[in-house]
Amino acid sequence: MSFQKRLQAKEFVVLAEMHTPKGVNISRLVNDARRIKGRVDAIVVPDMDNGIMRMNALAGGVLMQQQGVEAIIHLYCRDRNRMALQGDILAAHVLGIHNLLVVRGEEMSQGDHSEAKAVDDVDECGLLGAIGTLQKGKDMAGFDLDGAPTFFSGASLAPCADEAALEREVAFAAKKVAAGARWLLTPPVYDVARFAAFYERVKGLGVPVVPTVFLLKSLAIAQYIANSEPGANISDELIRRIRKSSDREQEGIHIAGETVAALKPMVQGVLVQTLGWEHKLPAILDVAGL
Amino acid sequence: MEYIKPFKRILLVGCNECVTVCAAGGRKEVGLLASGLHMAVLKSGATIEIREHTLERQCDPEYVEELVPMIDGVEAVMSMACGCGVQEIARRFKNKPVFPALNTKFMGASERQGVWSERCQGCGDCLLGMTGGICPIARCAKQLMNGPCGGSTGGHCEIGEDTDCAWALIWERLKALGQIERYVEITPAKDWRPGGGSGPRKIIREDLAE
Repeated sequence: MSFQKRLQAKEFVVLAEMHTPKGVNISRLVNDARRIKGRVDAIVVPDMDNGIMRMNALAGGVLMQQQGVEAIIHLYCRDRNRMALQGDILAAHVLGIHNLLVVRGEEMSQGDHSEAKAVDDVDECGLLGAIGTLQKGKDMAGFDLDGAPTFFSGASLAPCADEAALEREVAFAAKKVAAGARWLLTPPVYDVARFAAFYERVKGLGVPVVPTVFLLKSLAIAQYIANSEPGANISDELIRRIRKSSDREQEGIHIAGETVAALKPMVQGVLVQTLGWEHKLPAILDVAGL
Repeated sequence: MEYIKPFKRILLVGCNECVTVCAAGGRKEVGLLASGLHMAVLKSGATIEIREHTLERQCDPEYVEELVPMIDGVEAVMSMACGCGVQEIARRFKNKPVFPALNTKFMGASERQGVWSERCQGCGDCLLGMTGGICPIARCAKQLMNGPCGGSTGGHCEIGEDTDCAWALIWERLKALGQIERYVEITPAKDWRPGGGSGPRKIIREDLAE
């Protein structure tokens, strides 16, 4: 059953994330996809939205589909204007990709090509609207298409450090749903109780909400996120748990798996982010009992 | 420095308008830069004569005309005006090399003494009525039209703690004004043509133009 059908049938979906290479060596990507095939419902393929120049998500998504794994590709506005975006969207449909995830691009100066000029012709709502327009057989300028694409599109939510940001983000999420997002992806969850309170605020938006679970690969990464992202909610207790562990790598896998298991009764699915440690995905899913 | 290296006699021209207000290219800065250039050239073992003059407004042809008696006596002009002034001098004096002394950055406002920040990008399609008087085109790093990005933390933009998140400001202001419905309404993809998307722009007032 496809990702869209499972979500719509209210079945729990398991998503994994896999990055394309910075270069043309696709062996790891392909091997990781083969290894996880059958254990996840779809693989999310980010583009260059984190600011690192790499092979684009369209090619990555096609590679996933070739391995028999359904792909969800990132789409964002920093690097492409409305012409390029629409062209890529049409290409995605023709190449067999039917899931798009509209995300925000990292600010250009924070990436590895900090001297580049950002495009930002449209924003997330504009892009979601464009996908909807294309599906109706028209382009953004109102011209007829020769064959309309079909997509299942989602949008992402941002981490919120305080109540004001949360209130604003919920209002923004409602706009994205109105603009055409049919599911929402949340930032990484490190505190399930806090997430539950957040979930109460967004579950009424009428679309499935899928939280992200991020594999904490080391104590340093956990501490870095705790210090640099006030909205992440990594507790001192969690940091202590990793610090005290005799096998921190294994501890991270357990934490991720336990978080997935704890979220499962509440939500409609989960995205597991392993950031380069995709070979650990099976172990995380084992801990989660999936 | 590289610009003026080949010349023995230049005219350094300031402007009494915006660049004077922001202490970048007025009479005082013309004096300071002239002394600095003098010293630097002397240090390199060469000599240069720098004539100084500050115009009332460098972007108006009437004022630029004032340079006519001075222009033949110099080999090149260095302008301390914004890019508009530099170009106006270049347009008027076709046989004279003109160089910019400033890097013109933006249209801004004075935050406090000695601090200016960008406020307007002249996009030609003003959104301020919808966004509580805070411009997401000039003040949001990504020119987002509908809400903040993931980099907004504690009211700051991800590019730095000294930059406010425009959308955090817009949200707070619309809330204070009781105009949240303005935030909730989806702003469609922007038409960038009036903002320079279709080339250099021009305004013609029929009643004033000759």
